[in-house]
Amino acid sequence: MTDITQHTAARPSADFLHRFSVRDAGTLIGLVVILAVFGALVPGFFAERNLINILPQSSINACLALGMTLVIISGGIDLSVGPTAALSAVISASMLVAGVPFPLAIAAGFAIGLACGLLNGVLVAYVGLQPFIVTLGTLSTYRALALIYTGGNPVLGLPAGFRAIFNGSLFGLPLAVIIVAVVALIAWIILKKTPFGEYLLAVGGNEEAAYIAGVPIARTKIAAYMISGLLAALAAQILIGRLGAAEPILGNLWELDAIAAAAIGGASLMGGKGSVVGTILGAVILGSMRNGLTLMNVQSFYQLLATGLIILAAMLIDRVTRGRG
Amino acid sequence: MSARLQFDSISKLFPAVRALSDVSFSVGAGEIHGLLGENGAGKSTLLRILSGVYRPTAGSVLIDGRPVTLNNPVQARAAGVAMIHQELQQVPRLSVAQNMFLGHPPMRGGVFVDRRQQERRAAEALAAIDPTIDPAAPLGSLKVAQRQIVEIARALLDRARIVAMDEPTSSLTPSEFERLAEVIAGLARDGVAVVYVSHKLDEVFGICQRATIMRDGAVVETVDLAQVSEKAVVSMMVGRELAQEQHRSHASGEIRLSVRGLASATKVRDVSFDLHRGEVLGIAGLVGSGRTELLRLLAGADRASSGTMEIDGKAIKLSSPRGGIAAGIGLVPEERKREGIVPLRSISSNMALASMGVFAPRGVIDHRRLKRVAAEKMKRVNLRPFLLDRPIRLFSGGNQQKAIIGRWLAAGTRILLFDEPTRGIDVGAKAEIYHLIEELAAEGHSAIVVSSELPEVIRLADRVLVMRDGTVAAELGRASLSEQAIAAHAIPQTEIEAGKAQGRRAGA
Repeated sequence: MTDITQHTAARPSADFLHRFSVRDAGTLIGLVVILAVFGALVPGFFAERNLINILPQSSINACLALGMTLVIISGGIDLSVGPTAALSAVISASMLVAGVPFPLAIAAGFAIGLACGLLNGVLVAYVGLQPFIVTLGTLSTYRALALIYTGGNPVLGLPAGFRAIFNGSLFGLPLAVIIVAVVALIAWIILKKTPFGEYLLAVGGNEEAAYIAGVPIARTKIAAYMISGLLAALAAQILIGRLGAAEPILGNLWELDAIAAAAIGGASLMGGKGSVVGTILGAVILGSMRNGLTLMNVQSFYQLLATGLIILAAMLIDRVTRGRG
Repeated sequence: MSARLQFDSISKLFPAVRALSDVSFSVGAGEIHGLLGENGAGKSTLLRILSGVYRPTAGSVLIDGRPVTLNNPVQARAAGVAMIHQELQQVPRLSVAQNMFLGHPPMRGGVFVDRRQQERRAAEALAAIDPTIDPAAPLGSLKVAQRQIVEIARALLDRARIVAMDEPTSSLTPSEFERLAEVIAGLARDGVAVVYVSHKLDEVFGICQRATIMRDGAVVETVDLAQVSEKAVVSMMVGRELAQEQHRSHASGEIRLSVRGLASATKVRDVSFDLHRGEVLGIAGLVGSGRTELLRLLAGADRASSGTMEIDGKAIKLSSPRGGIAAGIGLVPEERKREGIVPLRSISSNMALASMGVFAPRGVIDHRRLKRVAAEKMKRVNLRPFLLDRPIRLFSGGNQQKAIIGRWLAAGTRILLFDEPTRGIDVGAKAEIYHLIEELAAEGHSAIVVSSELPEVIRLADRVLVMRDGTVAAELGRASLSEQAIAAHAIPQTEIEAGKAQGRRAGA
């Protein structure tokens, strides 16, 4: 017994390094390379103002991608994040315009996000439908509800007080960035330090084994979809705060960027694998690439091309280095 | 007897590992040659070289005296080598005939698959060994034993001169094994050289003439099986004498688990028994007799349709394994990869999965405590190598099994349910698992051990229930325990008569 305790007590620093996985280091190197390339090509890319710009531009995608990461780790996928955000946005916005107090309107938006996630989760976990199909169906459904609710028109004229909440800054950083950073920290704690995180990894890694080991499968999956829905609603609040209006078509194709960020960050669509740090880095990689290309006046077609190539490159590097770390 | 197959000084180096060094032996035409060794001894690497998956670093493979190049599986097949894998490589949704011609179906006009010819030729090949198999049936509807036979028929179609079989019988019943043994003997009569890999020594002694024993990538010896004992072969495999094990009972009179009239919707009916504190209760019976299903009911993994369970006199009703764990019951499942381990997660995580509440009393996991308990439990089960943060998939089957047992120890489980605890586990680790089960019993745990290996049941059990057709057909105490007694109760009466009709000894 004595040698065991010494063994574990002697390595707290090694333990800390151990937590920063090889895969995350790879994503970080990717980000550094991309930053270096744009730094060399684009004058003023490293200007403080521009760097401060990249983060808020990445924050909405990062917020969605964190929820997506948890769902992907559980062995699922959530294609409905964009329409969930839209539905949450138009409902919050119309309440705000009608003069409902901010906290209540924001809470209603969050409740919509949770409800959308709950429906996805129940259909996946209890009814046993495939996540891809379920969320493909709710993708259309939630979008349709947002369009029907607004008659297809944007909700305009959000109160300035509401907009100020999400456009403010703290310690020189935009509040949206701080909010997403806090969310990332919570997600990291969930994944690394709570039973729920272990359950997510186990359910996605081997559902049958997790069941035999007593893991509450259905609850775990539903919670993942509900978090994803909640974070989509949070992204929606940040966006309508920034824009001052809520369009029922907002969030189109958000799910693809979120999946891309998670995958670049090392999440496996087979489930059982994924990293909060990696996903954040993945979102910043996508964000800085878009920022750099825009500054270079590259046409949006080529930006799309670059996004595609980055995803494929990340997956190829993954494949080549697989089985280590 | 000419050497149909000869391995000549084969070596295989991987980066950092010498998997095979200077392996030489030969197999004659018409010989069934056993290949024995613990996991990691190099058997699989050698078979992969034979089937063209790996290329040897040095040395050569000779077929009928001529060196052959086996750079890929297609070349190996063309050279007359057929490989029958432990985990069958077949497509369940396709028909038997389609599977037999997978990758090279007979064509008509160079474009269309000639289904009629495909089925006819499949039927011809099957007729020689098992005419009861319908070539048009979906492969998934066949039993594992029949699928093995389909693979052998496929080898016949390919006019294989060499058939290598990797653990073909790991999930067969005794009568299915006998049938397979006949088929293999038929192959040998036709001049095929058979390489037969198995962990089950009694089978190897039963059907092989000679055997090559490997250890640490090298040949220990090629022996004539008529002239050596099983014990001698085992010590060659493990490189040391395994102590002769005696059964020791730790059962007390105190009843821990009491089961009455337990039944499931399908496979289990009216099972009643008591399990005592410190007792190891064996459950024998054929595959399909309801043993696995019974364990799943006891663990809460499936729901019972009727019947009662009591633990220490208190009635319990289980609707999920979570409930079973709370009541102190843990299942060590048969299919470790599918139901036991979470492959990408570490040993510690796999161990802690069933007792997260203990490690996170306030919602956040106390990793220091988890590490301490993991170190303690894994030391207890003698995990090797002792790397608690390493993904469990990188460990051998035996060590994965130890980690699963450790999972239940960490969860404070008092009743351990083992389903085929040593399937696919090598001889050395097997002995360790037996020891562990006994030690746990000595500490007051109760265990139920389901096993198809009768020597295993006899070695471990204080008492044996023999299952047949979903219910307990007999209860045997230590005094009346023998392989013959178990077999006599396990086999349905009709099969015994059928066996007699064919002039075979029943239950042998």
